[in-house]
Amino acid sequence: MITQDLISFFLFSLLYLTVTIPLVLAYRVTKVINFTVANYITYGAYTAVLLDYYMRSSFGHNSLLLTVLSSFAVTGLIAVLSNLAVFKPLAEMRVKGDVLMIASMGLWIVLKYVLYIVSDIASSAWRTNLVSYSQIHYDDISLLTVRAGLVGVQQSLVVFPLLAVASMFILYLVLSETRVGRAVLAVADNSVLASLSGIAVGRVVNLTWFLTAGLTSLAGVMWTTYSGAITPEVGDSLILQVFTIAFIGGLSSLTRTAAGALLISGVENFGTDLLSTYLGLPTSIKPMLTFTVLLATLIVSPPLGVAGGVPYRFTRGARR
Amino acid sequence: MGVKLIVEKVTKRFGGVVALNRVSINVPSSLVVGLIGPNGSGKTTLFNVVTGYYTPDEGRVLIEGSGRVVDITGWNPNRISRMGVARTFQIPRLIPSLTVLENMLLFYDYGSCASITCSLRRKWVNVEEAAVARAMSILREFGLESIAHKRPAELSAGHLKLVETLRGLMSDAKLFMLDEPFAGVESWMARKLTDTIRKINREKGSTFVIIEHRITELLEGVDYVYVLHNGSLLAEGKPDEAVSDERVIKAYLGK
Amino acid sequence: MIDVLGFLITLTTYIGIYLVLSLTLTLEVSSGITNFGKVAFYGLGAYTGALIGTYLPLAITGSRASPFDVNGIQLLYTISKSNPVLDLSVFLLSLAAGFAVSALFGLLLTYPIHRVGSALVGFTLLSTGEVLRLFYLNTEPLGESKGFMGIPNPFAWLPQARGAEALYLIIVWCFVGLTYFIVSRIMNSPLGRILKGMRDDELVALYAGWPTPLIKSKVLALTSGFTGVAGVLWAYYFTSINPNMFTPSLTFNIWAMVILGGIDSIVGGVLGTVLLASVDYAARFVIPFIGTTLVTPDYLRWIIVGLVMLVVLLKKPEGLAPRRGGVSKL
Repeated sequence: MITQDLISFFLFSLLYLTVTIPLVLAYRVTKVINFTVANYITYGAYTAVLLDYYMRSSFGHNSLLLTVLSSFAVTGLIAVLSNLAVFKPLAEMRVKGDVLMIASMGLWIVLKYVLYIVSDIASSAWRTNLVSYSQIHYDDISLLTVRAGLVGVQQSLVVFPLLAVASMFILYLVLSETRVGRAVLAVADNSVLASLSGIAVGRVVNLTWFLTAGLTSLAGVMWTTYSGAITPEVGDSLILQVFTIAFIGGLSSLTRTAAGALLISGVENFGTDLLSTYLGLPTSIKPMLTFTVLLATLIVSPPLGVAGGVPYRFTRGARR
Repeated sequence: MGVKLIVEKVTKRFGGVVALNRVSINVPSSLVVGLIGPNGSGKTTLFNVVTGYYTPDEGRVLIEGSGRVVDITGWNPNRISRMGVARTFQIPRLIPSLTVLENMLLFYDYGSCASITCSLRRKWVNVEEAAVARAMSILREFGLESIAHKRPAELSAGHLKLVETLRGLMSDAKLFMLDEPFAGVESWMARKLTDTIRKINREKGSTFVIIEHRITELLEGVDYVYVLHNGSLLAEGKPDEAVSDERVIKAYLGK
Repeated sequence: MIDVLGFLITLTTYIGIYLVLSLTLTLEVSSGITNFGKVAFYGLGAYTGALIGTYLPLAITGSRASPFDVNGIQLLYTISKSNPVLDLSVFLLSLAAGFAVSALFGLLLTYPIHRVGSALVGFTLLSTGEVLRLFYLNTEPLGESKGFMGIPNPFAWLPQARGAEALYLIIVWCFVGLTYFIVSRIMNSPLGRILKGMRDDELVALYAGWPTPLIKSKVLALTSGFTGVAGVLWAYYFTSINPNMFTPSLTFNIWAMVILGGIDSIVGGVLGTVLLASVDYAARFVIPFIGTTLVTPDYLRWIIVGLVMLVVLLKKPEGLAPRRGGVSKL
């Protein structure tokens, strides 16, 4: 049991990191609490699904590399379009952050059901069921694992770390080594100063949308090697954990976010098992554990002042 | 009836920065005092501590009135306000979706008429009338009745600042803490403001603590001055004394 | 043979229930409470009502039947047909209990959320809804994924089914009237002004002397209670409930109604609700009978609602509100 928990803990930590780190960066640059993150994950998974079916029926094998590139491109593009059509015009109207968040919810619904329709149509066109798809096996990864002598290892154990590390590495590379990456950091820090020092903030923002959404979609691709039933609800099922982690990190500190990812993954995987073994509680208690962590964070150490909020503790009038 | 403000060895730190360092100030009852000092000397921080926005790391804040002394250290801002302390902000913070008049009314003490039951039974009508009357008379004194129904977005900077201060004068506060009330305000209005402050001080005995950079208004308007520098109390005294104090001049120039 | 009267009665009842939800949301938004978890309190009310409506009659008659199997459901039906006092008392009890449970829940939730920003408030309430839904889904005494069926209509003892429907409609709309009365009285009072102040700048409201956490908790308790009652009304209207009815999409739907009506405008909210609730009703009950196309109408409905919301926010933030001048801001 404990090894199973350990494996799940490992996998989910990587999954959450892959989503939350770009999420926090995106928030710092765009100032949008973005619920369409759920769509980025789902679209990543579904690009994989569609590509897998298409490639298998046309060529007989698939490719993780191609899947990753496609997911990244498709999701990144959707994010940029979302910005151009919705967030940028709203920001120019100088609306409150709440409005941006609400708009992201509207977009979330639209994108989700567009995907449902697309997979419905593809399902009937290709005479298969794409609305619930089975686990994907990537042939190029199989080749790699066989070459490395790791036979019989489940693909997720290879794909998850591979994509997570690649994602963090790309992020690190872009942010620290490229000029545009440094521009992103400058905008994240202080967009007014950044624009004053000559940075084209608009373009940087678009690039951030593209990059962070693309990286998030890799989590969807990861998911396809883990889950036995891939549905358009993938992203939604992870939203609770993802945002809890982001809020634990105060939407600012990447280290705290990473710690949060490990915490939530640990609570979910070890905690659920412990509670069911010793207290006989059903495994369905899992989301309640994350929720409890969320409430505890809000009571004990809330990210004060983030996206509004009164930046201090209320006391009952007594001296601290 | 005014109150005495006692700030006792208040220290406030932010990370590694010491914004206030064992500051002690005794503002006598019913006096109009000024608080000056170069930028970053801790004036606004002191206001924040006194009015409850911050809790000091060390020290106490006390209010003394009618023979009672109350320790308000660490109290929430709403509780301190109800004790009779009013505070304005350096950069005006008016409620954007409310008109000027409504902004003023927000600061009126409706007492139990601000409850849900009172709203349902519409028993607030009389109190509202009184509140509107007071608000309009204040606005009228400053010739601002024409902007009563405008929203903050439509006002000039000077008007915003003035409304911020007038809003603070809506309550029957016994201690007023005004943060740069004259900044950006036209001369004749500034004079009117000084007169109004003096009037309230005379008639109600309220104590005033005013942060101000404009020296002329300061010299005319206040009885006593405290000077802060780098989070510590540098000097205090009558306005002309404090302003011509060598240390004070050095502090301003040295910055 | 289209039953126009029946259609109108069910449509109007449907709209009525949604009006309670959107009126309470209007008050919440006006106070700065970004309630993305309306469905949490709605579901609580519905399940409380369903619990009382099915277990209680069975228990009172000493039956050991379960409300989830055919025998139990049939028994409930028989009991309800001949027991006006029982029916009505069970219904009234459900309404009271629905209010109490949801209001209490709202009150409790204010504690963790009273200091944090609107994004966190919204997210926490959203999560509450989801956690509750998963709870219903996995709890046997609540029917798990099948939920409750056979919740007895309080007027089932009337010989004419049409009469029962009409009476129920009246009850729902009395409640709508009450909600409207309360919401408009509050919003058009000094308290309403304080709420708006709290929403725009909580610190200033505090400095004005208002105990904002306390006020927020009272407002949320009140609106949650009413939302709970709406849930009870739904349970008895639809006579069966299951966890799938209480997804975040429902909360989102209410938000779309309020936004369409222009935030801050009660009348606008009513108009927006009538419009979208009708669209909703059509998608749910009408179109499936007409026949489906290649594109599932349910999906299209959501896309339309989402697009409407986005278009209103982008182009015409004051929505359908009859505006007297001045911009309606969020």
